[in-house]
Amino acid sequence: MSETTILALFEDIDPAANAIEKLHEMGVKDEQINVISGVPVLERMLGRPLQDSNVPRLALGGAVAGFLFGAFLNFGTPDLYAVHVGGQALFPIPPGMIILFEMTMLFSLLATFLGVFLDSYFPNYRPLEYVPEVSDGKIAVFFKCPEGEQKDFMDALGKLGAKSVKPAEAQQL
Amino acid sequence: MAVASKYLPSAKKAHEAHHEEHDPRQHLMHDPKPRGEMNQMVMESMYTTSWKFWVVFGILSILVATCFFYAWGYMIVEGLGVAGVMRPSYWGVFLVNTVFWIGISHAGTFISAILRVFKAEFRRPFTRAAELMTTFGLIQAGASIFMHLGRVWLAYWLFPIPNERLLWPNFHSPLMWDLLAITTYVLGSTMYLFLPLIPDLAMARDRSTGWRKTFFKILSLGFRGTEGEWVHLRHAMNIFAFAIIPVMFSVHTIVSWDFAMAMRPGWSSTVFGPYFVVGALHSGMGAVAIVLYIMRGTMKHMDYFIRAEHFDALGKLMLIVSMAWAYFFFNDYLVQWYGGDKWTDTLLHWHESGPMNWMFFAMLIFNIAVPWLILWNRKWRQTGWLLAFAGLLINVGMYFERYIIIPVSLTINRMPFTWKLYFPRIEVFLTIGTFSLFLLFYMIASRLIPLVPVWEVQEGQMAHTLRKVGKTEVPSISDFE
Amino acid sequence: MSIDLNQVGAKGAIAEEADGKWGMVIDRDICTGCQACVAACAMENNIPFVEEEDAGYGRTMHWIRIERFWEGEFPEVKVNEGFQPMLCQQCGNAPCEPVCPVFATPHSQSEQINLQVYNRCVGTRYCANNCPYQVRSFNWRDYHIDPARSNEVDKQLVFPLHNQFNPDVTVRRRGVMEKCTFCIQRIHRAEDNAKSQGREVEDGEMVPACAQVCPANAITFGRIDDPESLVSQLAQQDRSVKHLEELNTLPRVTYLKEG
Repeated sequence: MSETTILALFEDIDPAANAIEKLHEMGVKDEQINVISGVPVLERMLGRPLQDSNVPRLALGGAVAGFLFGAFLNFGTPDLYAVHVGGQALFPIPPGMIILFEMTMLFSLLATFLGVFLDSYFPNYRPLEYVPEVSDGKIAVFFKCPEGEQKDFMDALGKLGAKSVKPAEAQQL
Repeated sequence: MAVASKYLPSAKKAHEAHHEEHDPRQHLMHDPKPRGEMNQMVMESMYTTSWKFWVVFGILSILVATCFFYAWGYMIVEGLGVAGVMRPSYWGVFLVNTVFWIGISHAGTFISAILRVFKAEFRRPFTRAAELMTTFGLIQAGASIFMHLGRVWLAYWLFPIPNERLLWPNFHSPLMWDLLAITTYVLGSTMYLFLPLIPDLAMARDRSTGWRKTFFKILSLGFRGTEGEWVHLRHAMNIFAFAIIPVMFSVHTIVSWDFAMAMRPGWSSTVFGPYFVVGALHSGMGAVAIVLYIMRGTMKHMDYFIRAEHFDALGKLMLIVSMAWAYFFFNDYLVQWYGGDKWTDTLLHWHESGPMNWMFFAMLIFNIAVPWLILWNRKWRQTGWLLAFAGLLINVGMYFERYIIIPVSLTINRMPFTWKLYFPRIEVFLTIGTFSLFLLFYMIASRLIPLVPVWEVQEGQMAHTLRKVGKTEVPSISDFE
Repeated sequence: MSIDLNQVGAKGAIAEEADGKWGMVIDRDICTGCQACVAACAMENNIPFVEEEDAGYGRTMHWIRIERFWEGEFPEVKVNEGFQPMLCQQCGNAPCEPVCPVFATPHSQSEQINLQVYNRCVGTRYCANNCPYQVRSFNWRDYHIDPARSNEVDKQLVFPLHNQFNPDVTVRRRGVMEKCTFCIQRIHRAEDNAKSQGREVEDGEMVPACAQVCPANAITFGRIDDPESLVSQLAQQDRSVKHLEELNTLPRVTYLKEG
């Protein structure tokens, strides 16, 4: 059976949460449902599972990379080319603390930023399922359902207070 | 007495007025509008441009072209001799500008990061305006430090890039710590500016046509608002908010170490780290007050987003920071005064009774007396123009503070034969140039990106309700983290 | 109980750095303040002559200056303590060295003096701020090609002073820091000569320009790590003093006070 994607638009969190519960009852699995919203709505409010994110892991990885880079700058470069200045030790430790800190933070922040791009597949300029009303604060729930049962789903969701239920088309944003 | 009661409200009236001002429905978070309407307001504030805007834009452009680019080019060709620096004040207004602009930039991070971490809801409508100050201020700081270099065309030698000479920069030098810290800070805060901007760019994309739509489409990266996108964005914003706070503290501390590491009387002070950080917040908060006042006064619909409560909260912060600044200043001053070191004594006398002593006392009046006299009164704090005026005086006072610390203090060293007073020459024009460029960037940004983070405002409004407790309604804030 | 500074690790207390190699003794009692050393240094090291306005504003380029201290207002002036020639002290613990972000002023391990690398300097001027003796000069302009020092010949500017440049010394452009080098070009020439003859440099074989020209012989130069050299013996005298010693800069220049 072929599947279509249906997009239902809701004004508020409560109707959207009820609709998702109904979809679960009607046999649609969580992986087949997607929710887009204009403000971050907590997954628990809609009864949805919490998504995993690589961003914290990348942040940590970036911190480690930054620490190593800072260590290279402060302790590695004098090893490569030693220049003696002012009676200070060749591998100075207090300035080293500063360098290590700054490079740890820099790479951690860069990795976090990169993590958002990677995890969200940014930039994403191909056609996507979307309705502009979402940025006006509405919540859109779209899901895959078998083609034949389309009407049942549309009726059920309409009864639960959806502003509009229609097949979702991938459009150029 | 009748006269007095005309000017001083009666105790009862004051009490009632106090309660009226506390009506929560006057607060932005308790006065929600439909998101679509708020989006429309923000877009309109971007598009609506009067002829006055273009006049100011034109003047600033001319100033930037002459006082920034032409003057700087002239100085590069002629050499730093056209500036006022000499022996013993080898560092002058360029460093003052650098420290000043980095100071201004700290307020942006304070508001968007520290207030986020502490969940201060009043930050919501102006985090982006403050964060823009950070990015643009850091650009001016960078420009000022490059202006200061004798051979700026070789500035790339400061970067640790592998080269044929096999040379690396000197990490013993506070200037190198500066470079790393400021690079970290400018990249970090620009990324932190951009991340919460993405959903608003998506909103703008949905509501524009033509070249603007293309511009927003590219910049919003295809953001839709899926659960995944929000999760990643929220994680990143939390990490940034927490991480950029120590970076912010470290940046101005490291800038202060440019001076503290030097063995000059008045410079070699151990309290410079926190003293400069607090000084940065002091001038930055004042600058935010000015920016908010101008935004509210000149941009359409901003009177909905920026209200008396925001000026009130900002004014309280300014007062607290002013007290902290006075504390650190006194710490530094008292230890020098008490110490009896011949050169420091001479320096303190030079500050207080030398030819620039008017600057010393103006600094104390603008940084301490002005905030302490104005900001204790709630009505005055809520008055936009008064807060902005206090902010302006604070910024002038902080500029004087850095001028005193750098060129005026450098006059007194341990070789009296070299003592000579510094006078700025082309630095005056270049300073005007950096200020004009800062304002110009801001004006351009106000036309190109939504200045109010509407999704954060809506998120806040969703979290705020009025709960009935006993006979009255009490504001209640839900934690949506 | 005595404290061994080498053990405690006091900065610069490492024996070789504390003693140095090349050093100078300046006798303030004999100095007449004639400024011959200033002129000689300028000629030897291609130092530009700065116009009146800049010079009055604190932009003189002299690597050595004669400081004068006096009491009272003219005409009741009393000169205090004679003349003070001040030049780069070539500190063992130079405060100017660690603060240069591009390593333009490292410490010479072989000659034990403070080097200034002109072609590496980017002009941050932190070193000049950090020098407690204020002996560093910055090239604020291209003083060598200042039209005030030129003649116009066939509609072109000609600079006669360029004819007296010392070919052993770099000519510096604007934006570069400079300072006394103990005439390192002469040190190297003497050492090259001595090495080619298979011997050490003799005491008194080479002198910097200032020592060479001083008519009163107030400046003595030589190896301070050699206790037999004239410079070491003069530095042992009771009148000897090092300026700003409390800053632990370990200067290599010893001054002899008026006796």
